[in-house]
Amino acid sequence: MSLLEVRNLKTQIRLRHETVRAVDGVSFTVNAGETVGLVGESGCGKSMTGNSIMRLLPRGGQITQGEIIFDGRDLVGLSNAEMRKIRGNEIGMVFQDPMTSLNPSMTIGRQISEALVRHQKLGRKEALVRAAEVLALVKVPRPSERINDYPHQLSGGLRQRVMIAMALACEPKILIADEPTTALDVTIQAQILNLLDDLKDRLQMAVILITHDLGVIAGRADRTLVMYGGRIVEEAATTELFSKMRHPYTEALLASIPQVNQDPSQLLYSIPGRPPELSNPPTGCRFAPRCRYAQDQCRNEDPVLGGDNPQHPYACFFPTSTDVDQLRETSALYQASDTPGGSVTGSEPPRLRDSVRATNPSTLISLRSVSKEFSVASGSLRQRKTATLKAVTDLNLDIRTGETFGLVGESGCGKTTIGQMMVALQRPTTGEISFDGQDLSQLHGSELRRVRSDLQIMFQDPYSSLDPRMRVGAIISEPLLVQGRGSTRDRERWTSELLDEVGLSKNAIDRFPHEFSGGQRQRIGLARALSLSPRFIVADEPVSALDVSMRSQILNLMKRLQGEHGLTYLIISHDLSVIRYMADRIGVMYLGQLVEIGNGADIYERSAHPYTAGLLEAIPVPNPEVERRKRGGGISGELPSPLDPPSGCRFRTRCPRARDLCALEVPPMQRFGAEHLAACHFPLQTPVTINQR
Amino acid sequence: MLRYIAARLGQTVLIVLAVSVIVFVMTRLLPGGSAEAILGNRASPAAIAAFNRAHGLNLPIPLQYGRYLLALLHGDFGYSYKLGQPVATLIATRMPKTIFLSGVSLAIAVVISIPLGIFQAIRQSKPIDTLLTAGEFVVYSMPAFWLAIILILVFAVHLSLLPSEAPQSDSLAQILADPRALVLPIVVTTIGTVAALSRYMRSSAIENLAKEYVRTARAKGLLEWTVLFRHMARNAVIPLVTLVGLSVPALVSGSVIVETIFNFPGIGLLYDTAASDRDYPVLLAIVLVASVATALGSLLADVMYVVVNPQVRYGTKE
Repeated sequence: MSLLEVRNLKTQIRLRHETVRAVDGVSFTVNAGETVGLVGESGCGKSMTGNSIMRLLPRGGQITQGEIIFDGRDLVGLSNAEMRKIRGNEIGMVFQDPMTSLNPSMTIGRQISEALVRHQKLGRKEALVRAAEVLALVKVPRPSERINDYPHQLSGGLRQRVMIAMALACEPKILIADEPTTALDVTIQAQILNLLDDLKDRLQMAVILITHDLGVIAGRADRTLVMYGGRIVEEAATTELFSKMRHPYTEALLASIPQVNQDPSQLLYSIPGRPPELSNPPTGCRFAPRCRYAQDQCRNEDPVLGGDNPQHPYACFFPTSTDVDQLRETSALYQASDTPGGSVTGSEPPRLRDSVRATNPSTLISLRSVSKEFSVASGSLRQRKTATLKAVTDLNLDIRTGETFGLVGESGCGKTTIGQMMVALQRPTTGEISFDGQDLSQLHGSELRRVRSDLQIMFQDPYSSLDPRMRVGAIISEPLLVQGRGSTRDRERWTSELLDEVGLSKNAIDRFPHEFSGGQRQRIGLARALSLSPRFIVADEPVSALDVSMRSQILNLMKRLQGEHGLTYLIISHDLSVIRYMADRIGVMYLGQLVEIGNGADIYERSAHPYTAGLLEAIPVPNPEVERRKRGGGISGELPSPLDPPSGCRFRTRCPRARDLCALEVPPMQRFGAEHLAACHFPLQTPVTINQR
Repeated sequence: MLRYIAARLGQTVLIVLAVSVIVFVMTRLLPGGSAEAILGNRASPAAIAAFNRAHGLNLPIPLQYGRYLLALLHGDFGYSYKLGQPVATLIATRMPKTIFLSGVSLAIAVVISIPLGIFQAIRQSKPIDTLLTAGEFVVYSMPAFWLAIILILVFAVHLSLLPSEAPQSDSLAQILADPRALVLPIVVTTIGTVAALSRYMRSSAIENLAKEYVRTARAKGLLEWTVLFRHMARNAVIPLVTLVGLSVPALVSGSVIVETIFNFPGIGLLYDTAASDRDYPVLLAIVLVASVATALGSLLADVMYVVVNPQVRYGTKE
């Protein structure tokens, strides 16, 4: 008998004007010691399924139907008091954001020991001792000192370990991990996922892993459930699912992720449209409006989970049997409806620009010995200047006209600071940034304003980077107004042309940002950046806040616009597959310095710096075989503080190859190929010529 | 931390000095001097001149201020023209009574507002919350003097349950001997504060209830009571601490309106009579005491904020 059996679960959230059917008839089982993956885009009901099991529903949320049989008891029928004895005791839960999920005014020791006091009836002192043991179990260094720390004193990775310790303190039979690594850097993500795997074996528990990231699922889940529109649309053993998926949604989801070996000259496969509103789902198959195989039957009848293989049920009338790689290669064929609701001109396949490298080698923007430091205030009451944060140190970089330069690195490595300096939103502390021959740091007043029209930026968060009280038309035309371009009528015309170009309808002009989805808002942000016909655009994590299907739409759009407008991009991302797909050349940053520069193949196939190699190792790839092979890889430890970076090579504290020399001397940039440079004393490749900058 | 407090105390001295200059000069420049107020309208010009000479009011204002300040540094607040007592003595006998009245009211207000705010937060938008919110706004917008008069009418005049006037005595002990007389002044002072504080507590609690750490606490299987009071309330009261610290000045200066209506012999009443009598030494002393209390109250608010908030108390470790 299985440990957990969910039968026809329906959960609704009653809002003021509508009722959202967040979970709409979900059934699945979890066996002891098994990891079950729950995957889907945001709003598909996967988190709400986890919350329903824990009965941790938001205001207005209620389980309206179904059973949750756990260990022989139906949780749906239990009283709140009985449920409290199960939560944190027999079922533990880990949430997404360790920054906000811990109580800021209580020590972590106390927060962990609470569950022990409550469920195991330990005394407070005993519970604290046990809390320290649990912290040791989740590999927090110096646990008996750490228990007196407050959450804000710990890094994100450590906080997530504390969250896990809290959930596991009473050794539950099931752990529900809801996007446990989404808020973390890739290197930390790999560490946390390895820890969860390790603990699962040690404590013999089952894990429900909820995530939007197919790469995370591929390596960790024994069985995977794909959710769409509040329902499970496909279920199979993970290896089987990735090799022989039957549901078109699963197929589309996988195809729209840029692969490390993706051909950059091809558009990405993208799912048109957006997920259904669960307050008013479409009749028939909920995926039908976005499905390329959909026929009339799909729009009228509701497919049920079934099929010929009971081990691999799916809910589809016309299941696919396409090979994903094949789909990806032919993806350009399905691009006609790239932009939903928009009026993309013609049906001719969008042309992607050829690589500009050979034809136009002129440098558009160059950084010479650029450093940026911030004074950091600390102290409890009076804000006194106590330390200098070295965000960027002695950085040299040239970006050529028409190319896309990708900047990758962990958060806090200084990539955003560089992007902002390049568009003159920040000035370097020392060094020179020249754009088209002019030194940006020397420009002031009207000269600077004139240059700014060539330099634009697209921000990460489409929710907070648009003024909520401005209409979309005003947002897009404001740069034109500031720069005094055209008459009112010209600006109106340009604005509607821009909207058309980014695939939004003209009536968007009079609407407000909150009326749009994340993907649409990112289109608005792109239109705003384009309004002055700039030559250079910095895109700071342009798709990190978006769902997989929205991501590929935006990336394709960016590529198309680059070709049409001859744009030069700097794309900043922590996501190496996005960078690989988008960028001609890539720079890898670590703690304020560039450690390696090269083209895609240099970085991904011939990486010379151990940090680059470790970073690549840490990215989860949506391929179970690859994922399973690389257990325990990646980079250990966490990013050191930029207030006091390590001497010599800054990466040495986390580097498996570090020797004494690395602490003494800063490694110089060495050449490994025509365009391939890396700064390492003991590189993974043999340098071409020694010590030539 | 200590150095910070020392610096803030230094600032306080400067602020109080500036306040004293402004108020001193204003009292001297106002038309109708103290002499007329004390000696009466029909006092002869000779008598007025004699009064002014006796109190040094004929000297140039800077010199008068210098003498006042010098005396102040020796702890001498001067002499009340009207009451014929040293101002320091007057304040010393009245202060404890005012501190008692406003202190008890503030304490009661805090004790009521925190649970009330939390209760409304968990019943957000339910009828009981709407009702309480409406009631709070009615009370909040009601002037204290009107509320006081209504209460006196109901409880003192019609029901004869409570006295309408506080006992007149110089010592706090004697005032405490008749607690019934304190009920109405305390109720009037408390009610307005409860209305304000519970609004703040309610919105702070609503904000914190939506935070993810509350869900984490529930995921541990804690009792709802523990979730609310040990986790949520602890974070929700942080903004309230500043508010309470800022009401410290009212503790010493008292409420002129409430003390006057109930004839409560505290600082507020003293201020009211001193103002109508143009008893400038008394007026000046009370303003100075209040300004010291204001500066110290905001310092206290800042220090308390640090004490209750570990994110400020401990810097980030590496």
